Amino acid sequence: MFELFAYDFMQRSLLAAALVGALCSTIGVFVVLRGLAFMGAGTAHAAFAGVALGYLMGWPPLLMALLFGLATVWVTGWVEEKGRMKLDVSIGILYTATMALAILFIGLMKTYNAEVYGYLFGNVLAVTSEELLTIAGLSIVVVGAIVLFSKELYFIAFDQEMAEASGVPARRIFFLLLTLVALTVVISLKTVGGILVFAMILIPASTAYQLTHSLSTLTWYSIVIGVFCSVGGVLISSYWDVPSGPAIVLLATLLFFVAILLSPKRQRQSLAVN
Amino acid sequence: MASHSSPIIHFDHATFGFPGVIALEDISIEIQSGEFIGVIGPNGSGKTTLCRAVLGLMPPLKGHLRIFDCACDELRCHHKAMIGYLPQKGVVDRNFPVTVLETVTMGRYGALGLFKRPGRKDREIAMESLSHVGMDMHKDTALGYLSGGQQQRVFIARALAQQPQVLLLDEPTTGLDITTQHNVVELVQHLHEELGLTILLITHDINMIRSRVDRLVLLKTRLYAAGPPADVLKPDILSQVYGKDLVITDKDLVIVEDYHHHH
Repeated sequence: MFELFAYDFMQRSLLAAALVGALCSTIGVFVVLRGLAFMGAGTAHAAFAGVALGYLMGWPPLLMALLFGLATVWVTGWVEEKGRMKLDVSIGILYTATMALAILFIGLMKTYNAEVYGYLFGNVLAVTSEELLTIAGLSIVVVGAIVLFSKELYFIAFDQEMAEASGVPARRIFFLLLTLVALTVVISLKTVGGILVFAMILIPASTAYQLTHSLSTLTWYSIVIGVFCSVGGVLISSYWDVPSGPAIVLLATLLFFVAILLSPKRQRQSLAVN
Repeated sequence: MASHSSPIIHFDHATFGFPGVIALEDISIEIQSGEFIGVIGPNGSGKTTLCRAVLGLMPPLKGHLRIFDCACDELRCHHKAMIGYLPQKGVVDRNFPVTVLETVTMGRYGALGLFKRPGRKDREIAMESLSHVGMDMHKDTALGYLSGGQQQRVFIARALAQQPQVLLLDEPTTGLDITTQHNVVELVQHLHEELGLTILLITHDINMIRSRVDRLVLLKTRLYAAGPPADVLKPDILSQVYGKDLVITDKDLVIVEDYHHHH
């Protein structure tokens, strides 16, 4: 197995997986705590529609993905804030509408384009050095923003109205969180793909949630689990020659169920019922 | 009673709501520093709207609202950290992974401002707030492991950590057993006396607070009465507001109401 590390492409993909794993699992903490899981899934599909439009029109696909992703999170965030419509309804509509757009854009292409499908399923083993640099640069921006605003992000995840009432600019922080979610999705699109990126955001944080009662511990657990699953998934993928995305996500899912079985919360809750 | 210098909260013919829906209409009231005010009224009478207005989350549609030196005719008031707020129970996820001390320290975040991390002084203030509510020995316990009454104490400590001048409590006793209800109200009265906090306590349970407050404010979209409990709790005034839900026994007034949460 260790001779794999000698290959350049292997080093690149392990590094990319570790970066994307760390990034997704960090933002995932706030997504899970703030209850934005479904919104993130919708964003991933919208970003894919952006990629498809980019290829159709000859525009930069990742830029289009970013525009579509940002539009989706801002619209859903605005709808949630106004309370005009239930959040799951508005996201459900955007989710399917953007997927329909993606299918339409792909249908309009004259020729079969394998690269587009690469964004749907992701292939971390095919990451180039340039892409790795882009991933690293954007990860620094997103993680930097999270570190700078961590206390406000935790507060609005806990209770946005309480945060607003105690003088934190909660609305702006909420839209910052939404923007960071969209950025994370776009950064991860090439490596894990539009369908699976959300698992990478959701599962490590949800697994960590089972294991601790402290916010700071939760975040560190989530990052460790995210990096472990990404790197482990890539190794499994190249060793047994299976697709990398499913390997990462299924490894994370397995850990999630193990965590549920071991959760001190679950044991404590069954005691507390009495 | 407090001195009648300038009021710290001043509603001046203020109307609140959303376009087309009036939640509170033409409210005028002055609240002095150091008062203990109980806000009562039936469901949907605008109690929670009053609360949101005082928090600066809702500017008046008409009229004026002044809180401290802040004219709250627009959003983005700067008085917020001066008001410690206990939201209705059930708003917060019980299983949220947070310890007691982490919860209380959040009370410091508004005052700290962006980019600054809580330091030793903030932890000291948080611990002091916890000891005011008698929960300092539980600082490392998970919030979800506490009983309902203990959680209320922790949330009150979180509000105290803001070092506020006003404590605003929205239905603090709902969902607690009778003994715990009394303990929570007693704690509030203790904080009022010991820390000199101005208290605004919103409740549907008149009998719980009537003997403790300086003034009662009776709402049903409009302000029906405001004054000492003896002046407000009169059968003719109350029956205007509560109608058939009002039952008057020998010595006591009892308001029978199907109480439901309204968010």
